[in-house]
Amino acid sequence: MAGAMTDAPLLAVADLEVRYGAVAALRGVSLHVAPGEFVAVVGPNGAGKSSLMLAIAGAVRPQAGRIEFRGASLLGASLEDIVRRGIALVPEGRHIFGALTVAENLRLGITVRADRRAAEADLDASFRTFPILGERRRQPAGRLSGGEQQQLAIARALLGRPTLLMLDEPSLGLAPAIIDQVYRLLGDIRAQGVAVLMVEQNAARALDAADRTYVLNSGLVRLAGTKQELIGNAAFDAAYFGVAMSGEAPPP
Amino acid sequence: MNTLAQYAVDTVSVGGLYALTALGIGLIFGVMRLINFAHGELITAVGYGLLLLSGVALPVAMAGSLAIAVLLALVMERVAFRPLRGADPETLLIASFAVSFFMQKLLALTVGARAKGIDFLPRLGEPTMVLGLRLQMLQIVTILTSAGLLAALSWFLARTRAGLEMRAAAENFQMARLLGVRANRVIAVAFALSGVLAAAVAFLFVAQSGTLTPRMSLQLVIIAFVGTTIGGLGSLVGAAVGGFLVGAASVILQTVLPPDLREFREAFAFALVILVLLVRPQGLFPARGLKERV
Repeated sequence: MAGAMTDAPLLAVADLEVRYGAVAALRGVSLHVAPGEFVAVVGPNGAGKSSLMLAIAGAVRPQAGRIEFRGASLLGASLEDIVRRGIALVPEGRHIFGALTVAENLRLGITVRADRRAAEADLDASFRTFPILGERRRQPAGRLSGGEQQQLAIARALLGRPTLLMLDEPSLGLAPAIIDQVYRLLGDIRAQGVAVLMVEQNAARALDAADRTYVLNSGLVRLAGTKQELIGNAAFDAAYFGVAMSGEAPPP
Repeated sequence: MNTLAQYAVDTVSVGGLYALTALGIGLIFGVMRLINFAHGELITAVGYGLLLLSGVALPVAMAGSLAIAVLLALVMERVAFRPLRGADPETLLIASFAVSFFMQKLLALTVGARAKGIDFLPRLGEPTMVLGLRLQMLQIVTILTSAGLLAALSWFLARTRAGLEMRAAAENFQMARLLGVRANRVIAVAFALSGVLAAAVAFLFVAQSGTLTPRMSLQLVIIAFVGTTIGGLGSLVGAAVGGFLVGAASVILQTVLPPDLREFREAFAFALVILVLLVRPQGLFPARGLKERV
């Protein structure tokens, strides 16, 4: 690995376009995530946030643009291969397997692991990291509460030892106290050096947690920056809510 | 009392055969949302495989025919169904009709449409005394085979890695793939298993009927399909129980209906099916979370 590589982004998305028939979900989105960085994408409903996640994960095929992970293109790769390259997605709605037990859900998390013995050890460890999942390991995951399901979905994704963890609306439908818990967990994950790309409707929460935030609206990145750069920037509200775009921040 | 016990054995053995057929269909539906009508042709192919291999030792002929079913199931998936993956269930269903008809016609062209006799395991047809009951050996073998295969399949699904992946894929295929579960592998394993089940059904069915025709499995598959529907499409327990119930119902109707109505026992059986579906449109054991497919 040459020194030049260290500056290279982990994930680079350029001019990404995704259409569903006549409907354009993404109209040329560019963003990047550095190794170990916590990046949030905020925007209203229908901004294209989920399409962005699904395109990176390989579940939706973009019509144009580039997606590169560690310098290699992800375009045309299957979902199964993309997760093996180190990108895990916790999709919106969590998508735990309700009919399977908690332990079976977690076991599916190590599908991509080649180091079977270490993977088994991680599996055991996750019952200690997430005590509630340990307690309920033999229960069908469908019986967990929303917050517990979110923990399960994140724990399951982490078992694949991703370099980049993508989360789609991790706080959706959860009580405020549970959301705090989820964000603490994301902080811990980030502290372990895992890069996070998170899509969130709750802009305030996202800005607090992330190193950098992109504001997505109607399929375009309208604004990007750190919390300090975005908060108090009148263009932020305009970008988020999609009113009167000037392209420049108005005077304070 | 003895007559009742004999009817019970009859019912369980016919029910078991339909349960195995329904399971073969249910497995594929679970992972692909495909109702594979060509499952019948897998059964038929095994029958003709036995005829083709009638010169060799029996275990070899059976192993060879089983291999034919598994191979054919895999080819079917690769050639006909993989290109359609993710298509509507209706499209998949029609494709499976096409495969089914194609194979029927192919058999008719190559070996002829007329029925052929086959003397497969003739000794199983002989009556035998078990616990004071006069039974056919074949009935006992059918019951034992069905129970054994159901147990083996349950073990496979519950205890093996491939079984876990298959259950996950059946519940939510896209999420399973996002975790790295290989779609091609899961589907291929499901087809291979359906081939094994088809072979078992074919052995029992051919031993019982002693004849082969290109359309011999049609009735079996239709009734098994009805069974999977009653049981709840997408649920394997449902498929097994539904297949069993429909098979059992037809035996019971055959017994309890007055002689001049027996001809119409299928009509009565299907009336029962409609009744069940009126009360429980999702089937007796509805599958949880039928999420998006590959």
